[in-house]
Amino acid sequence: MHPISSRRAEAGKASGTPTRHSGRARRLYTVGNPRKSTTLTVMTALFTLYCLLPLVWLVINATKSQADFVSSFGLAPGREFALWDNIVEVFGYQDGIFSRWLLNTVLYVVVGATVSTFLAALGGYALAKLDFTGKRVFLFVVLGSISVPGIALAIPQFLLFAQLGMTNTPWAILLPSFINPFGLYLMWVFTAEAVPTGLLEAAKIDGAGEFRTFLQIALPLLAPAGVTVLLFSFVSIWNNYFLPLIMLKDPAWYPLTVGISQWNKLGSTAGNGALIQNLVITSSLLTIIPMVVAFLGLQRYWRSGLSLGAVKG
Amino acid sequence: MGLSRKVRLLSAVLVPMLALAACSGGGGGSSDGDAAGGGGEEQVKITVWSWDGTVAQAVPGFEAANPNIKVEVVNAGSSQDEYQALDNAIQAGSGVPDLVMFEYFAVPYFAIPGKLADLGEFGVENFKQDYVEAAWNDVTVNGKVYALPSDYGPSAMFYNAATLKKAGMNKPPATWDEYYEAAKKVRALGDDHYIAQDTGDLFFLLSLIWQAGGRPFKVDGNKVHIDFTDAGTTKAVSFWQKMLDEDLVNTKITGWSDDWNRALNDGTLATQTMGGWLTSTLPERAPQAAGDFRVALMPQWQQGEKVGAANGGSSFGIPAAAEHKEAAFKFLEHFTHGGGLASRVAAGAFVPNMSVLESEAFQSKANEYFGDQKVGAVLAEASEIVGSGWQYPPFFEWARSIYGDIASPFYTTGKGSLAEILEQWRQRCIQYGNEQGFEVD
Amino acid sequence: MDLARRFDADPPATASPDAKRPQTATRKHRRTRIALAFIAPFGTLFALVFIVPILYAAYLSLFQQKLIGGDTFVGFANYGKLFRDPQFWDGVGRVFRFTLIQVPIMLIFAMALALALDGMRVHGAKFMRMTIFLPYAVPAIVSTLMWGFLLGVKYGLFGSLNDALGTDLDPFAPGTTLISIGLMVTWAFTGFNMLIFYAALKAVPRELYEAAAIDGANEFQVVRAIKVPALRGSLVVTTIFSIIGTFQMFNEPQILPSMVAGSGVTTFYTPNLYAYHLAFTGSQQGYAAALALVMAAITIAVAYAVQIRGLRNASDQ
Repeated sequence: MHPISSRRAEAGKASGTPTRHSGRARRLYTVGNPRKSTTLTVMTALFTLYCLLPLVWLVINATKSQADFVSSFGLAPGREFALWDNIVEVFGYQDGIFSRWLLNTVLYVVVGATVSTFLAALGGYALAKLDFTGKRVFLFVVLGSISVPGIALAIPQFLLFAQLGMTNTPWAILLPSFINPFGLYLMWVFTAEAVPTGLLEAAKIDGAGEFRTFLQIALPLLAPAGVTVLLFSFVSIWNNYFLPLIMLKDPAWYPLTVGISQWNKLGSTAGNGALIQNLVITSSLLTIIPMVVAFLGLQRYWRSGLSLGAVKG
Repeated sequence: MGLSRKVRLLSAVLVPMLALAACSGGGGGSSDGDAAGGGGEEQVKITVWSWDGTVAQAVPGFEAANPNIKVEVVNAGSSQDEYQALDNAIQAGSGVPDLVMFEYFAVPYFAIPGKLADLGEFGVENFKQDYVEAAWNDVTVNGKVYALPSDYGPSAMFYNAATLKKAGMNKPPATWDEYYEAAKKVRALGDDHYIAQDTGDLFFLLSLIWQAGGRPFKVDGNKVHIDFTDAGTTKAVSFWQKMLDEDLVNTKITGWSDDWNRALNDGTLATQTMGGWLTSTLPERAPQAAGDFRVALMPQWQQGEKVGAANGGSSFGIPAAAEHKEAAFKFLEHFTHGGGLASRVAAGAFVPNMSVLESEAFQSKANEYFGDQKVGAVLAEASEIVGSGWQYPPFFEWARSIYGDIASPFYTTGKGSLAEILEQWRQRCIQYGNEQGFEVD
Repeated sequence: MDLARRFDADPPATASPDAKRPQTATRKHRRTRIALAFIAPFGTLFALVFIVPILYAAYLSLFQQKLIGGDTFVGFANYGKLFRDPQFWDGVGRVFRFTLIQVPIMLIFAMALALALDGMRVHGAKFMRMTIFLPYAVPAIVSTLMWGFLLGVKYGLFGSLNDALGTDLDPFAPGTTLISIGLMVTWAFTGFNMLIFYAALKAVPRELYEAAAIDGANEFQVVRAIKVPALRGSLVVTTIFSIIGTFQMFNEPQILPSMVAGSGVTTFYTPNLYAYHLAFTGSQQGYAAALALVMAAITIAVAYAVQIRGLRNASDQ
């Protein structure tokens, strides 16, 4: 395992910083450092532009006041640079409820992603390394559940949670987020591949209990997979819109997605609601930033984790 | 051995977590219940669902006068979102607010199945003459009052005087015939210029029908009668059909969209026949058109007549499942009828209370955005001439949601007609209404 | 990833040394108890969040809710009604058509981009890789908002494009809206799929390339003989996930009508949207539950068929 992943890291480094080798590359094109192709670069760049364009629009329009937004072309700057004013207003609007939404989202994401990853690791370990009856039925049901449309689940989930008195509480968002069937699947495959059974046996012979063996031996080996599952959960909880939309009625518990959508609806529903497109856009931009940071920061781990799942499955 | 201890430890952590989850929801409800049990002496907290921002203005004054009642105003979504949330809460039996905002058309939907408290027990009958007649009619279902009007949408014509002037007109059209002629002149200004937009705006069409004297819905208890063939309805529908057929209406821009804001802003949409509440939001949608817009009564069907219609507006009612009905009514009366009204009017609310509409301050206030026009006087008159006797069917919320499905093909392809749309809509309403346990024909 | 094979055979490493040891009944019993303790937290919550709601939905689907008169037991009438409901099948047909076109296009793009970026023959590869992935982090509400502007005919970028080219195309006409939604969905998810492919390529041992270079293989041959086979497993996974994703399409068609006129988006545009509308506007939870269950069954059937086919192709190799 280790030799491969370290080699992969080297390869990643080489592809990540092509310019560093360019001096050498002019003389020698190797497998690890081939000649750059203009055609390929242009074609990839075109797709990059397609990905970037809406984000450019978002950044430009976050710098406009509401009056400028309505009266100027989307990709042109406004008459005044209002980004700071907008940010201040976003955090001040409706008694600063945006901060509350941000904190809620962080709560849902951190607790949800951590617990779901841990539960997936625990379950994946049991599936890969322990014997029990009903394993196949369990797997079949869990994997089948991946195909069930989220909205199909949301309606009965809501009705059920309502009867348990859990709607309109953070638990209505947290409990469903604790379960990540795909995460369990990934963890199962990873554990089977990356955790040598001999190592576990040795630990047990030394007197470690099953749970301690799991925590001290298996869990560290599962770190790359863990980061992958963590990030999967992170994104899906961060972007979760439908479930909180129906589960929560109290804006004090909204996550960002629902909160921003409510702001947007204020001005786009017939009536005399406030038109605050500048705040909707600025808050959208602010919402994306933590995601970008998380991905940039963790990208090496999660790529290596993904490659395991993709290739070994 | 070590393991089983760990497992026990783990379950010791997880099980209470679940139990906590189960309690935290129920716990919230029961603690409210305790407060209610104490009656008027103990501290009571009421929850108000409102997407009307002016309601919060009335809270400080109310709490000062009623120290034992605490008011929490929550935006639980606008319109449809809020009604869904309320239905969910009622069905779940928990989290039902004490006071809820309803557009007028939603009152029968909640009142007829018994989801709203009859306000008769609080003696609201005495309030009747304090409101515009048509608004009072809107909150009365089968002879009982289920809500108090909180804001009103008398239909009026907002017009861009600069655009009309460019098209050669110095005054707004006073009749629908003049409106038709004006539309042609505006259209002649160029590709983008239209007198109005319509992409299947049901409320606009209904206000046209309403003003023309049509009363397509008749509700009596669980019986609902739908008919789009009476004289008034036919007159209104065929007029608007003519406007659409002759390309005098923009069918590409949908109301409340970004495109709409921009078209209002650059003056290419000359008029908006809409509820009076547009007054407060127009300035932020069309900042560059400041000084260009004016307000007039709706064009009339007959020269010299004065008949109006309503388009929108809302009210507040108390759910039958609410826990603090008495405290809720106290606040309701305060901000829709009593001492809290002034603070909301100052914040821009347009209310159907006679005391406000007929006050000198309201009638004579010049509005800078509208070129210092005394907008209040026009809207007060528009409120008082709203035709009476209009009714919405109790399943209107569902009905309006599918209207777009039926109307959209006509607006995008031009195939069919408004009359056919309405007939198709009627058939769907009859089917749905009967499935839901009403008697609809 | 061979989901199906996993049901029949345990992962390779599970054939642990334990199997060789004689297991007494009590020992086996204890091991089962330990395993159950590990699986219990996931299992319990899974039951609460998945199993019970699905059973509850199945129960609900046997009832009809009425505004007047409450709930009545109707047996399988909701299912019968659903199979005769043209609006439901209209939505199902739409997501099928969408899936058939959008998923292959998106995956071909994702794969081509992964190959281009992995080949180290592209300038600025790191920046482009991150940028292509970024849209995945954008919530659907925000992305619909942005694309609504970019594709706007009157004030948007598309309108300017029309003016410049002298064309009169409308991206949000009833016939074209689905294409525009495809553009948004492709925008959002290509990067995600690209990363999965990219990761699979990065896991190919470098010796293979070096060996190929010594054998004098050209670039095309390397792609065909080494890289494409390495992507097979990922392709099955991404295909299944994309199908599940598009079958659940909801956010874009739900948000669009408030932004553009005449887009042709109806309340039954996709099955999910229809279920939502039935349950929350029409107060027909029973009917909505029946719809949701039938749609889940269709999704599972399609995902399963794709997976079986994908595996057969993979094993043909």
